[in-house]
Amino acid sequence: MSIGGEGILVNEARKVSNAGIERLVEASRRGNRGAFDELVRLYQRRAMQVAVAVLCDADEAAEAVQAGFVKAYLNIGKLREPKRFESWLLRIIANTAISQRKTAKRRAEAAKAADCRGQEKRTFSPAETAGAQELREVIQRAMLRLSRKQAKAITLFGLEDLSQEQVSEMMGCSVEAVRWHVFRARQKLKVWLKEYLE
Amino acid sequence: MKKQEEKIDILLRRNMAEQLAGVDWDKLSTAISGRLDKAQQRKTSAIGLPTVLKIAAPVAAAAAVVFVMVMIKPERTDDTQWGEGRTATVKLTGSRGSASVAIIDPADRAHAQVDIAGKNGTPAKCYVRIIDSSTGQKEDGIRPSWFMISKAEPAHADNGANQDVMAIIYLF
Repeated sequence: MSIGGEGILVNEARKVSNAGIERLVEASRRGNRGAFDELVRLYQRRAMQVAVAVLCDADEAAEAVQAGFVKAYLNIGKLREPKRFESWLLRIIANTAISQRKTAKRRAEAAKAADCRGQEKRTFSPAETAGAQELREVIQRAMLRLSRKQAKAITLFGLEDLSQEQVSEMMGCSVEAVRWHVFRARQKLKVWLKEYLE
Repeated sequence: MKKQEEKIDILLRRNMAEQLAGVDWDKLSTAISGRLDKAQQRKTSAIGLPTVLKIAAPVAAAAAVVFVMVMIKPERTDDTQWGEGRTATVKLTGSRGSASVAIIDPADRAHAQVDIAGKNGTPAKCYVRIIDSSTGQKEDGIRPSWFMISKAEPAHADNGANQDVMAIIYLF
């Protein structure tokens, strides 16, 4: 699975060598704000991919990404190995997005209630619901119903260029455990999104 | 089965693409930069604080200890005998309870358990911590030690409303 690949986004950080990234990280650790701004520019798209995958909403995701970068900036001194910056940053972003799910859940439930009231007048068929806005809401509700670990696993697992080992490191569990979470997430999504998979 | 998994992936990918298509990256960059500016300002203004706290906290703590000691220092009874391995009885000011204290060389044991008689005569227990002052004047050949009762005794060992044993700090 690859979320966000195939030309949807170009990973800017891939254009810079590992040594270049490490230099920027080292400079940021010494308090060089300009270096950190450059890291933001390089990784903001990647960060948005993670946050959108978790929250299924660009506005919510942008909020999580901003908060995540601030956390990273304040804690970059604790990062022991600069070469692990990407995994470290994406873990922060994913955790921030995951903890923001409560708010997103409340909003989604409010939207669902509004939908239910609207359905008295009009019922959407799956085909109609497959429009961009509706699709977003359906997937968002489904993703929010997944457990934190399942949501995180299926999100990170789907990112291009991220190895299973990296995902397991970011999640703090074994590769097998990650695969299990992904499997369970897919099983649940299959049921919840059944109408849209036919 | 495999096909359905692929469909899920396609659905998620499609949603991802649609969500990200409308993102204004420059605007996001600016927003992140603004948040970082604020965080940096907060960080800078907070830098001086720990140093001040490092100095102020021990000073305040020491002052508080002396204050508490002066305010609630218990009286010694006449039969008090000081010396290693001996026992002493301390009478608590304004209290109906009393404490039977085993004097233990701080170098040997940092913690000792003390029986405190409750008002009904039932022995109760609390923990005390002995801190060697090391600089105090010797009294009858024994160097004074701080004696701190650091855990409240059970409710049945009521020593009076104004004499909570937890707060007692006694100077030998």
